[in-house]
Amino acid sequence: MNSPQSIETTTALPWAGGPYSIKRHGTSLTVCDTEPVQTPGCIQAHGVLLTARRADLTILQVSENSADFFGKAPAQLLGQPLSCLLDAQQQARLLEMLAADAVERNALFAFTLAANGSVPPLDVSVHTTDGVVVLECEATGRSASQLVHPDGDFFALVRAAVSRLQNVVGLLNFCDKVAHEVRAITGLDRVMVYRFHADLHGEVVAESKLEALAPWLGLHYPEADIPKPARDIYKRIWIRPVPNAAGPVVEMVPLANPDSGLPLSMTHCTLRGASVMYTEYLANMGVAASLTMPILIEGDLWGLIACHHHTPTYFPHQVRAACELLAQVASLQLKSSDSIEQLAYRLKVERIHQQLVVKAAKEGDLLALSDRQPSLLDAMDAEGAALYHMNRWWCAGMTPDEAQLDALSDWINLRPEFDSINRPAYVTDALSSDYPPAAEFVELASGMIAVQISRTRRDLIMWFRTETVRTVNWAGNPNDKPLVAGPNGMRLTPRRSFELFVESVRARSRPWSEVEVDCALRLRLLVMDLANLAGERMADLNVDLTSSNEELDAFAYVASHDLKEPLRGIHRYAHQLMESVEALGGEDRQRLESLMRLTLRMDSLLDSLLHFSRVGRTTLEFVPVDLNEVVASALEMVGVRANENTCRIVFARPLPTVLCDMVRVREIFSNLISNALKYNRQKLPRLDIGFVLANEAEGRPQAPAAAEGQAIYFVRDNGIGIEQRHFEQIFRMFKRLHGRDEFGGGVGAGLTVVKKVVTRHGGEVWLDSTPDVGSTFYFTLPCTTASSAAAIRAQSQGSP
Amino acid sequence: MNRTHHVLVVEDNDGDFETVVEAMRLAGVSNQVRRACSGTECLTQMHMCLQQQTSLPALVLLDLNTPNDDGRSALLQLKADDKLRLVPVVVISASLNPRDVDFCYRQGLSAYHVKSVNHATHLETLKTIFTYWLTMVLLPLGRELEK
Repeated sequence: MNSPQSIETTTALPWAGGPYSIKRHGTSLTVCDTEPVQTPGCIQAHGVLLTARRADLTILQVSENSADFFGKAPAQLLGQPLSCLLDAQQQARLLEMLAADAVERNALFAFTLAANGSVPPLDVSVHTTDGVVVLECEATGRSASQLVHPDGDFFALVRAAVSRLQNVVGLLNFCDKVAHEVRAITGLDRVMVYRFHADLHGEVVAESKLEALAPWLGLHYPEADIPKPARDIYKRIWIRPVPNAAGPVVEMVPLANPDSGLPLSMTHCTLRGASVMYTEYLANMGVAASLTMPILIEGDLWGLIACHHHTPTYFPHQVRAACELLAQVASLQLKSSDSIEQLAYRLKVERIHQQLVVKAAKEGDLLALSDRQPSLLDAMDAEGAALYHMNRWWCAGMTPDEAQLDALSDWINLRPEFDSINRPAYVTDALSSDYPPAAEFVELASGMIAVQISRTRRDLIMWFRTETVRTVNWAGNPNDKPLVAGPNGMRLTPRRSFELFVESVRARSRPWSEVEVDCALRLRLLVMDLANLAGERMADLNVDLTSSNEELDAFAYVASHDLKEPLRGIHRYAHQLMESVEALGGEDRQRLESLMRLTLRMDSLLDSLLHFSRVGRTTLEFVPVDLNEVVASALEMVGVRANENTCRIVFARPLPTVLCDMVRVREIFSNLISNALKYNRQKLPRLDIGFVLANEAEGRPQAPAAAEGQAIYFVRDNGIGIEQRHFEQIFRMFKRLHGRDEFGGGVGAGLTVVKKVVTRHGGEVWLDSTPDVGSTFYFTLPCTTASSAAAIRAQSQGSP
Repeated sequence: MNRTHHVLVVEDNDGDFETVVEAMRLAGVSNQVRRACSGTECLTQMHMCLQQQTSLPALVLLDLNTPNDDGRSALLQLKADDKLRLVPVVVISASLNPRDVDFCYRQGLSAYHVKSVNHATHLETLKTIFTYWLTMVLLPLGRELEK
């Protein structure tokens, strides 16, 4: 016995303890997957079936309707030699066929039994299985006038059909042509090409039908509609006729082979009795006859050619042979058509991906992938795509919202799939079963392919597919038709199929093909190459920047050195002149002194210039700095001593500790303090040094927008003040508002340096002042967190 | 080597050399002054001392930015030579570049001074250098070099 289904039989099944028979047990089934369809115990009643022992051709089993065909009841035939039914020529033909061994599990037409009274001529086909010879006898069908070519030259017909099929381009066109050719040969009402998807649910992809019939093209059926036992049979036979679905079935007598005790394996029997589930289903659809051929690609069931007719129709062996041949040709052709189609799809996707990457390479970022034509969506067959790049999402088509994407990417970045060397992609057609929060957006994104496009950051590309229910074309929605209950109720109807199908694809998308996963992986590699390239370019730029910074630095020193040399000479000669000419008159002496003072001033201008140039370029050292210490040190630098009553320095409260460059920030304070004391006519200048935290509303001054959310530091004086019209220019290099000898001189570089240092900390500096009342200088130092410090450090990378 | 040995001044600028001589006079040191106008010339003179087995200078006062083989290179070679490295070298330069300062000390420089534009300050710096190195510091004996 070769039927695994029988072996799996458990005691719970109704036929347990004896052989199965459709007639006895068929309507009690509820689960198709358990039905022993290969050993149904019954045949379709329009023919008669006999088995004989291979060794001596003694009749072992006879279908119970034998009297209708041979005038002899089973009891009269059992144990008799087969020869009792055949003439000498037929016997010889049978022996010849058995000897040639061509009929093992392969039914072939043998001969026609002559008409006998009211019994029409019977076509006999023969095959052997499990040591028995199986003879199947059916009316020749010559009287069945529904067929278009009852006596046609089927070879010529098939040859013409095959040559027409060879010239078709495209998978769906090909399927369409197959349906037409099969219908042309069989003359049946409806011929469909039914394709199994990766999840084994089926879809009608091509149809040829009578005008009057409703189209079923585009209909989807659940996997359960063609259960596994049935799918298995179609891998072994090329044709399955059910000429009269509503017709009776007749049992084999006896049900089990008396030699082996096993039921007859009817896999290769044309007359094999059809499952009640199937015939009921056909009847519920108003179908009286069906003919089914498999389409096999590399041994896998790719689909079926399913034919329906609305009246019982007998299929003569010639028609069957022609259909078998067409199914085989279709299988071979479809394989190449399918691979051509896949290849074309792959080429299209990769061409667009390459275009996108070339564009991205030109533009220096990945935005080309999402916001231009073509976009990611023009390549892969998906409804949405999302790119995480430059710390934000770039979406195209239908995608979850950004908050959902954020959560999804947090989850997905931890997926072990990304650690795979060969296939670092997360691929699913049921996202919500892996990631329950996806339930809230199943209709948008049930299917997803995700690839990471950088190793260090969380950059991702994701493609989304919507829930299948939303993408299926329900052109033939069985809901639209009035429902007719079958003899066993509604259990087997297209409506139920539809419901089952919807259930089976809930929260699922169309599955992704290997081609698609492959294309996603290849795009990932292209993008990562791009990133590497950009990284190298950045490194080159950094090297350039470093060297040009060093050159600039050296230039500044050399310039200041070379400019100072003549200055030193001038100063020396003036000095020597003054010393050697004792009798110098008062006026000349003054001129010489001016000369010397000017050279010294020039000297300090050069020093300031050099200093300023360095402040802009040296790398800042961001460390936690106690501003109280910094201010103390700055006060010392400008010569303010606490115990000398030259001025009052007031701190409302101790200053905080912030992340900054200590030396540079001390320069801010020393310059501001020095200015505050310098430009002051009060007997006892007063300085207020303090701060307002980001979350303190009270005392927060008017500030630039950029200072929002920042702590503000200030140095306030009661000095001479500054007119508002000068607020901008005081920060300019060497800009002085007063005569160079007033207020203790100075080169006018202090505030320029302050501004530079604050800017390099990412901050803002501004002031508030009233002439003769005083000035307040405010500044921010946003670099109070490690990450922003790192960001600013990265910006100034390359400075020596 | 002792305090009577000469001082080698590497200085291409005449005015600055004059200032050096004036500073020595003001410092009241009596050491003989020899002048080299470039780093190359400085090395030549030093090697001559070794060849002719005459005394090495008590101090080399080096200007970094001299023509030809400049002061940096001279310093490098002086400090790379087993015998010459014994002589203290003091730099007086117009360059404030921290790279120069680091470079010199790394080579084994004894002190780095900056030439001030202010003549009086410049003079004072030199006076201090000579007073310190020629009157206060204990110099190496360099016995094997003594003639």
